[in-house]
Amino acid sequence: MGKLIRTLMFGLVGAGLIHIAVVLLVPYYSDRNAWSRISAYGGDWQFHTVTGETKSGTVRLAFDPLFQAAACRFDITDLPAHITGIGTLPYWSISVYNRQGENIYSINDRTAIADQLDLVVATPLQMIELNKSKPISAENSVLIEADMDQGFVVIRSFVPDDSWSEQVAAFLKNANCSPLL
Amino acid sequence: MLRNVFLALIALLIAVGGGTLSAWYAVNRFDGFNALAIGQWTAHPDAGTPLSDPYAKARTAREGAFPLGSAEGLAFYAYNDDKGIALSRQCTYSLSGNSPNSRFWTLYAADLGLLPLDAGAGRLPALHSRQILRGESGAFTVTVSPQAQPGNWLATTGNGRMTLVMTLYDTPVGSNSGLVDMTFPAITRISCNG
Repeated sequence: MGKLIRTLMFGLVGAGLIHIAVVLLVPYYSDRNAWSRISAYGGDWQFHTVTGETKSGTVRLAFDPLFQAAACRFDITDLPAHITGIGTLPYWSISVYNRQGENIYSINDRTAIADQLDLVVATPLQMIELNKSKPISAENSVLIEADMDQGFVVIRSFVPDDSWSEQVAAFLKNANCSPLL
Repeated sequence: MLRNVFLALIALLIAVGGGTLSAWYAVNRFDGFNALAIGQWTAHPDAGTPLSDPYAKARTAREGAFPLGSAEGLAFYAYNDDKGIALSRQCTYSLSGNSPNSRFWTLYAADLGLLPLDAGAGRLPALHSRQILRGESGAFTVTVSPQAQPGNWLATTGNGRMTLVMTLYDTPVGSNSGLVDMTFPAITRISCNG
């Protein structure tokens, strides 16, 4: 009887360990996380429209039907990323995510400078350089320090009704995501 | 001797089976801790940030979603009405009251996986605060129904359970400590057909 109880105890403790290990490892080994979803849209340094549907086998993306979004992957190991967009819209917001899909910074049109989308994502080391001498192209940019190498940004924009749809689509299409030289 | 091997095998089976199943269940079904509940509505202000707990992180990684950041907005989900009964797509519900402080909000019906339902027949998939009709006090009533309704109507189709998603954009709700005063529209069931 004692042996059986001990067996059950070992089993339960083992189950707990495996449970913890699996839950902690999922973000690192998941092949259908936000990063792979965005990689499926196309190459990096370029905005792609975020759609609910992707290739089969992945979960459809839960998304506000009154919004349009675009995403851009970047790698800031060598150069900071410069994200710009021009347009007047009812509302837009942008989030910076790291490789694991964690939201590390977000900003909306009211908190941006002069309602314009213009931000630079840089590593702490690049930030020191940027503070010393800022390139003219990034004079009015919002500087975001992110301790990472790869990441992505997602711009979301509100489409109150269909008449706004074209304007919002144009804003997202013309948004630019490029290395800051 | 054989008995010991047998017991060891049982322990191993419990460990591997139980651990994997419970982890699978937690990752697919459990939303994480630190839910912010107001009435029938719940939100996860920490979801998708480095501050979120391992369960929420695992779930985000599986879904491939990119949750809203704190400066963008906060989504609230309602799964039940004010009596605690699960929301059904065939029933008519009335949402009345006021919404918390935000620049604007959107409201749509979704399935349990939070995918927006197709309202069908060219109807609006969602309502937002800049188009709805309000009463004299600023409060509003939205009727969620498969049949056409006067006033603010959010159309639903099909059958099965549903989730109502109300997303507040540019809101201080997630970071505000005065959460007690937050008011959300109450969800009351009016009628059901089928």
